[in-house]
Amino acid sequence: MRVLLVDDEKELVATLAERLEMRGIDATWVTDYRAALAAVEKEAFDIALLDVRMPEMNGLELKRLIEVRRPTMKFIFLTGHGSEEDFKACSAESGRDYYLIKPLQIEVLMAKLNEIAHA
Amino acid sequence: MNSQYDAANTLGLQFFGSMTASISHEIKNALAIVNENAGLLGDLALLVDKGRPLDPQRLQIMAEKIRQQVQRADTIIRRLNRFAHSAHEPMVTTDIREIFDFTVALAARLATMKGVTMTVAPGEPVQVEVRPFQLENLLWLCLKHLFVVTSGSQTVEFAAEAAGADVLVSLRFGAGLPVSEIGAWVLSEGQPLLTVLRAELRPEASLLRLRLPRKTEPSLARER
Repeated sequence: MRVLLVDDEKELVATLAERLEMRGIDATWVTDYRAALAAVEKEAFDIALLDVRMPEMNGLELKRLIEVRRPTMKFIFLTGHGSEEDFKACSAESGRDYYLIKPLQIEVLMAKLNEIAHA
Repeated sequence: MNSQYDAANTLGLQFFGSMTASISHEIKNALAIVNENAGLLGDLALLVDKGRPLDPQRLQIMAEKIRQQVQRADTIIRRLNRFAHSAHEPMVTTDIREIFDFTVALAARLATMKGVTMTVAPGEPVQVEVRPFQLENLLWLCLKHLFVVTSGSQTVEFAAEAAGADVLVSLRFGAGLPVSEIGAWVLSEGQPLLTVLRAELRPEASLLRLRLPRKTEPSLARER
């Protein structure tokens, strides 16, 4: 499974990517929307894990741009709080409850990735 | 006048809500990084159980990352604590640049999200007698409306100078921003704050100019 991680917190995505790699996931991380778009232009990912609140472009807007380039890609949104507003927006965008709250539990993330990959 | 104080208090609550929501996001990010590093330590410990050697330097790097994030969270929480106390802080005489610095620190995350760089112009201290929370709130309204209209990399510089019995504050924006539009919004939404601060706001070319008294009459100070 190939996963793209996008979050402006470099230490977070770099460490998370390493932990996913240890679990057999091919993980690539970037910290802004430009690098994310460049990555999906270059490589085919199965799933993108997108932070909802990032500088310049939020995760929901980024998801729409990625979808134009990679229509079959699937998405999980990451957010700091899980406010009702975020939950509704993320659910509407992902079509499901593919929405996780920081700090993450790796087991929950792995379960979500497997669920989406086999959906 | 009392209704203006009530309205200013309502704006204060909204300001408090916006800032604490933003600050809590910052803390969450620091916690998330601590969480991932702790998780990675656990992962590595499991690998040691399976016979894979552990690099002590690697452990030092991870410990340092955790320490940095704890320090980051501590700085954020100190700022939150100062902000919480400022909401009921009485009138004080202070260098207005301290209020600029604190407002910039409070709004830093939201500014980064919008691609806005905030600076405070260097200069001599300018003393002003004010309730800091009210002035921070007014400056925040200016920033809030700037964040609404900006769509790319932008700048705003806070500056102040004494002018007789008044202090002249300027918020100088980068090129291409609709300063008169921002000014009109602040004049409309922030009128109660302008009233309680006895301040005047005027848009001028590329800046918003705020004039407020350096000292407050004792009777008004009691009322505020």
